[in-house]
Amino acid sequence: MNYHWNWGVYLEQVSSGDERYLDWIVSALGWTVAVSMTAWVIALLLGGVVGTLRTAPNRWLVIAGNAWVEFFRNVPLLVQLFIWFFVVPEFLPAELSRWVKQDMPAKEFFTATICLGLFTSARVAEQVRSGIQSLPRGQKMAGLAMGFTLAQTYRYVILPMAFRIVIPPLTSEFMNIIKNSAVAFAIGLMELTFISRQMIEESGQVFESLLAATILYTVCAFAANRVMAFIEARARVPGYIAGAK
Amino acid sequence: MSMIEIRNVSKWYGQFQVLADCSTQVSKGEVVVVCGPSGSGKSTLIKCVNGLEPFQKGDVVVDEISVGAAKTDLPKLRARVGMVFQHFELFPHMSVIENLTIAQTKVLGRARDEARERGIKLLDRVGLKAHAAKFPGELSGGQQQRVAIARALAMDPICMLFDEPTSALDPEMVNEVLDVMVELAREGMTMMVVTHEMGFARKVAHRVIFMDTGRVVEEAGADTFFGAPTSRRAQQFLASLKH
Repeated sequence: MNYHWNWGVYLEQVSSGDERYLDWIVSALGWTVAVSMTAWVIALLLGGVVGTLRTAPNRWLVIAGNAWVEFFRNVPLLVQLFIWFFVVPEFLPAELSRWVKQDMPAKEFFTATICLGLFTSARVAEQVRSGIQSLPRGQKMAGLAMGFTLAQTYRYVILPMAFRIVIPPLTSEFMNIIKNSAVAFAIGLMELTFISRQMIEESGQVFESLLAATILYTVCAFAANRVMAFIEARARVPGYIAGAK
Repeated sequence: MSMIEIRNVSKWYGQFQVLADCSTQVSKGEVVVVCGPSGSGKSTLIKCVNGLEPFQKGDVVVDEISVGAAKTDLPKLRARVGMVFQHFELFPHMSVIENLTIAQTKVLGRARDEARERGIKLLDRVGLKAHAAKFPGELSGGQQQRVAIARALAMDPICMLFDEPTSALDPEMVNEVLDVMVELAREGMTMMVVTHEMGFARKVAHRVIFMDTGRVVEEAGADTFFGAPTSRRAQQFLASLKH
């Protein structure tokens, strides 16, 4: 292999301005974290609601929930991103459409966040539904028998246990959302993947550029894993063995 | 005065009929034991009393309120009817005392301190005061079921429903639960109890209802039922329990 390593490249000035490559990387990391975290909040909230509705004793709510999950789960993420970026603005009311296309600040950020949030919400909804359905049927009956309404039964009895049960699969989703945020480069959001490609073009240092992105994605995903492990430990129920009835 | 009245209740799962024209009633202060072979519909019938299982025909009237009527506020009615389940169904993520106070505060609107005081008193009564801060998973089956009885009593119910309260317990834990139930019966609580514990039935039941294939086959005073059951199915059932 005939590769010219240059570990000092990170501190060199970029050829197109007076910043260093390191400044690019730090800013890109910020965008990656911002997109991932905001999308994760959207995914948890929407996924929690949709997953719960899919267990509701109402056929139409279940159908609506299922449709939501199937749509966002069966269309490739990249295609969804292009739809949000290129197609959806065309169908907005004229005034709003013009604003989105011309004046909207941080358009790439909002588009990527919404796209990733909705995409992941379908996966979270699937986890939440399976968590609810893994609980013994008697738990719901016990809640209702105490005089709780159905909503109160979900609030106090079913969801607190269902969410505890699905923390491990949700941990994977949280790590996935960070890695999936890389697709945002395709609409020009200057996140880690976009910047590492940019750095390759300007500096010619392919390995160093990709290594920076690789390490930072790994660190972020690992941090997400640790955060969820911490929550899992804090939420642990004394004496409760998952799956035992 | 009859506290629970079951009038010609029928229920189907699709084509399969689980309850066929069941009628009986439980008077205030009365203890009625429901027994019968598994699959006879006894658990389903008792769940119809507080509307946990819907039924297609007939009606159940609890304290003069119709369970089947569309306009009935079922949560409100259920809050007044205590229920104890075969698998305890304590809320595993709440401590024992929280299990006893949550519905008092959220459903009855009691103050936290008042609910807690009532809860501790009932835990003391079932001999588990020292376990108030523990979680259900840290208790034995017998202890969990006693907590479940205390949880139901905390709502000051007008009657209590027991759905096979001892059949998921290890044999050595059955008596600690039955003792609590006997005491409750002697205090005059109105009780409807699905159970195979014939010793309990002999001791406190005023009446025994025998069910088979979704029907009330025989209904008699406890002495009569155990002494001289009239139906052949009941005779067979009692004989099978002796083995």
